[in-house]
Amino acid sequence: MARSWDQDGTGAARADLGRYNPFYRIVEFSEHRHWAWFLLLPSVLIVALIVVYPTLYGITLSFREMRLTRPGLGTGFVGFKHYLAILQDGTFWIAVKNTVTYTTLSIAFELSLGLASALALNQRLPGLRWMGVIILLPWFLPNVVAGNMWALMLDPRLGVINDILVRIGLIGGYRAWFADPSTALVAAVVVEAWHGFPFFTLLLLAALKGIPDELHQSAAVDGATVAGRFWHVTLPMLKMVIVAAVVLRVISIVNSPDLLLILTNGGPANTTMVLSLYAFQNAYRAFNFGYAGALSVVMLLLLMLFCYLYVRVSNIMANA
Amino acid sequence: MIVGSRRSRRAWAIATYATVLAFLLFTTLPLIWLVLTSVKPETDIVVAEGVRYWPTSFTFEHYANIWWQSGFSVLVLNSAKTTAMTILICLVAGSLGAYAFSRFRFPGRRQMLLGLLVVRMFPAVVKIIPLFIIMRALGLLDSSFGLALAYSSFLLPLFIWIMKGFFDALPDDLEEAARIDGCTRLGAMIRIVLPLARNGLVATTVFVAIGAWNEFLFALMLTTSQGSRTWPVGLQLMIGEFQLPWGMLAAGGVISIVPVVLLFAFIQRALVSGLTTGAVKG
Repeated sequence: MARSWDQDGTGAARADLGRYNPFYRIVEFSEHRHWAWFLLLPSVLIVALIVVYPTLYGITLSFREMRLTRPGLGTGFVGFKHYLAILQDGTFWIAVKNTVTYTTLSIAFELSLGLASALALNQRLPGLRWMGVIILLPWFLPNVVAGNMWALMLDPRLGVINDILVRIGLIGGYRAWFADPSTALVAAVVVEAWHGFPFFTLLLLAALKGIPDELHQSAAVDGATVAGRFWHVTLPMLKMVIVAAVVLRVISIVNSPDLLLILTNGGPANTTMVLSLYAFQNAYRAFNFGYAGALSVVMLLLLMLFCYLYVRVSNIMANA
Repeated sequence: MIVGSRRSRRAWAIATYATVLAFLLFTTLPLIWLVLTSVKPETDIVVAEGVRYWPTSFTFEHYANIWWQSGFSVLVLNSAKTTAMTILICLVAGSLGAYAFSRFRFPGRRQMLLGLLVVRMFPAVVKIIPLFIIMRALGLLDSSFGLALAYSSFLLPLFIWIMKGFFDALPDDLEEAARIDGCTRLGAMIRIVLPLARNGLVATTVFVAIGAWNEFLFALMLTTSQGSRTWPVGLQLMIGEFQLPWGMLAAGGVISIVPVVLLFAFIQRALVSGLTTGAVKG
């Protein structure tokens, strides 16, 4: 919507009102064609200073030797040394594998829970609105509380989940879910799914509300069954939103080590060590900023590769 | 959506309520357990055999202990300070920026909007290390303002995107009418657009506030003392260092999510209707 009044102002007549009053100077300037840039200035400055510059700086760090424990930070240029070291690093490959497993499982749980809840909440029945609000709540709760609350419930000695599972006879005795290498990752996925599934509920519910009723009605008139209507009407309409929501959620799960940092710190025996956590530990514990930087650049590249392939494949499937 | 005979409609309603009920239990039972743990006496939490579900008596000693003795009050105050500063930065810079993106067409507009989305894709660790070095050089390490700046690095782009959606939803005609009546462009923005966008501003601000209140990773890296440490970091460190008893941990958890639940209840209407359409439409 380009404005005709963008070019010149009606404020010229008003200019002599108070030329030296700073407020009138701003009013006068608001008629100027650079006004939009003036409004953008604070945001542009902040984003440049705390987003763009640190990100570029972070990428250059990965080519330098930088440790906080050394005098003068030790800022020598080392080329691809860190990247070559990564290829030799056994923990890195374990972390890649764990990241893939952890993200895939979490997304699978969250998408199915989100879809089921959104379909149920989309019905027109009394009471569903406030129930939906409560179902969305976990998404807004802090990681630290979500993680520790589940750690409490899964505790090997006083955990209520152990007690319930023993009572209904699913397990023989109390288990240490987060200390056992065979269950730690899956237990963490349960917590991640609890915390994250409302994101899918929110987006899918919004998309469902956008499907016109006429589509369902005409399909029903044509004799389509409930399952048929879901498969041929609902799902195709949801496809784009599902693709977008999965990309967004994959990015946030891969990038944020918060929950695993709180729950397991990568243990036992690196079974829950994911890439973001490994990079963070290199920065936070070892203060090895160069190596941590290289790890996160590799992570970013893998993530971009995934997003590119994923969007391409979903487009191909949509066109087929 | 439900088409069919009365009988099949009843069956659908029952199936729907059963599903929703299962989800309600899944989301609320852990929270109920957290609250129960926070009011149980220590002897009900650590039981020799099995688990005691309903407390034998109710106590608020865990709340008193963590609030007064463990210095949780200081942590909560620090978090409130950081959150307030983050809100201020986003509100001032973000609403002006979002208004410009919504109302003006200028070269580089699309690229900048896209850029704000792309920066959210970058791993936090890439930003955290340079921010640590920059903040240390500027003397902003371990300060609420420095942390608020760091939070703005991911909350400001979010604020601009959501707020742009709210501004887009307001018709241009009102502004044009005001300008025909002799209002300046600044006057139209302050007197007409901002008051009309009030609900959106409140909802978006609450969204940012919850994000800043909950944040853990940046705070862990960028705070080093009680002077600016926020509650998520403080609570997590207490668990690691002092083997915090479960009762006190639960009490701390309840205290810290009360503001989130209140804010969430306050904006849920705008969130469920406005935000979803805005977020999906882009």
